[in-house]
Amino acid sequence: MGTEEIKKALIEYLSKGAKTKVYFKDMVSGVKKTIPDATGSEVKKAATELVSEGAVEYFSTGSTTMYGLKGRGISSEESGTQTE
Amino acid sequence: MAAEGQEHLWDKEEKEHRTYNDIRIFTEEELKKAAYTEEELKAFKIKHATPQMDELEKGPWPSCFSDVKREALHRKKLGQDNLMLPVECCEDLLGQVELSYINKETHWKHGGIIGVLGYGGGVIGRYSDQQDKFPSIAHFHTVRINQPGGHFYNTDYLRGLCDICEYRGSGIMNMHGSTGDTIFLGTFTEQLEPIFFDLTHDMGGDIGGSGSNLRTPSDCLGMARCEWACFDTLDMCYDMTMSFQDELHRPAFPYKYKFKFSGCPNDCVAAIARADQSHIGTWKDDIRIDQEAVKEYVAGKIPPDGGAFAGRDWGPFDIQKEVIDLCPTQCMRWDGNKLTINNPECTRCMHCIDVMPEALRPGVDTGITLLFGAKAPILEGAQMSLVTIPFMYVKKPYDNLKEVTRKVQDWWMEEGKNRERLGECIQRFGLKTFITDVLGIPVMPQSIREPRSNPYMFFKESEVPGGWKRDIKDYRKKHPL
Repeated sequence: MGTEEIKKALIEYLSKGAKTKVYFKDMVSGVKKTIPDATGSEVKKAATELVSEGAVEYFSTGSTTMYGLKGRGISSEESGTQTE
Repeated sequence: MAAEGQEHLWDKEEKEHRTYNDIRIFTEEELKKAAYTEEELKAFKIKHATPQMDELEKGPWPSCFSDVKREALHRKKLGQDNLMLPVECCEDLLGQVELSYINKETHWKHGGIIGVLGYGGGVIGRYSDQQDKFPSIAHFHTVRINQPGGHFYNTDYLRGLCDICEYRGSGIMNMHGSTGDTIFLGTFTEQLEPIFFDLTHDMGGDIGGSGSNLRTPSDCLGMARCEWACFDTLDMCYDMTMSFQDELHRPAFPYKYKFKFSGCPNDCVAAIARADQSHIGTWKDDIRIDQEAVKEYVAGKIPPDGGAFAGRDWGPFDIQKEVIDLCPTQCMRWDGNKLTINNPECTRCMHCIDVMPEALRPGVDTGITLLFGAKAPILEGAQMSLVTIPFMYVKKPYDNLKEVTRKVQDWWMEEGKNRERLGECIQRFGLKTFITDVLGIPVMPQSIREPRSNPYMFFKESEVPGGWKRDIKDYRKKHPL
């Protein structure tokens, strides 16, 4: 399974839906709808690349971490000015 | 010099030991200028009125308020030119805590998109919701720093950490959090990358874990100082930290996952109570007994408990009352002349060894007991780790341990629900599934406390000699749906 293909599916998944920040597990399920053979580690690799490229960002509460598309939902600038 | 194989922690690049002078931020002169007297501290008033926090200083115990006040004065004397964060951030911190005492609610918001590039953990965002009133703590992020194994610092390293924390943060550190790591409390977003650079490039350190990551592994000081250590905790902790870097920094777990390493069953890092994966040193053979030393304890020539209770007269040492009768499995006997131990019954409680360390020592055929699933009481209740692999030999590069670890993590990532700890996942599926289906280990009678009363263990008919017949209709008479 190509990483580029998974990255595309990931971006597509993160662009849709009401939730702008998602758990890793939900992200894997989302990708699997498009690419059923994708494994968790392949999705992780693709997500890590997208984070490095600046397309995806982590959102952490301190106890758990979620992923979100950069520019969708709360931004890093806003996270200091909005009450959760 | 660092231990073999670990040179790059501190001194590899220079090929010689780096000192505080190589990495220091503040000059000796600046630090001397910032020193204050106790009289100055007494006269020092912070800019906010804090009548309720003042009360904390009146009690018999050391107060965090006093410590923060000291740092506030120190920052004032260092001067804004020497600090990247506002000089009064400690004063604003106390002001906000006072406000929380009045309002009886927190004024912190936590979490967010915060961290250093490429890392999905180690920084916990924290913001004030009273930013107009306390602008210097508008951001007050926590940075977790991966601590040296066994907390073995040298003063150069400690001073280096303190400099970074004071220059790029509030100057308030937590040594150590219950996670085990060093914690910088309070910094602004724009200081995170510089902190990371200083920490990694100048100090050879790293940020720790938070969020849905492997958390910063933590260990006891092990063989470096303790004669009871049954494996090299420092080496294993370091090796596992390096092997699971991706899990430590790139979050893909359903929730947190903790490694803790205790060299012996005394479990000084409380691995059994806190770690999803606890490694506790143990031995296979017999407890070593020095009969002459036992007699000396009985005769009062050697103080019991290493002299720990010497501050008060507890009366003469009574081996029967203080050791034999307290053995949880009653596997010891003292006939007045000779101490005998029925070793197969020993559950490694360590009590006898703790009381008579010169007479009793752990065996020499050593390894680890591997336990899984401890957690704090967020859901249902606190859980201790379960003994899953009673004994495992461990030798660098610890391939057998890493294989088991990956099996467990892969299963949990596949089956665990969001925010479900490993222990809760094991409980949901049953211990039997975890042991046999996930780890591929045969079930042992020792896994069951009493027949039929352990809710986590279910046998298949084929696994029980002779099998069984079950009349479901008869069962339903007594147990309707």
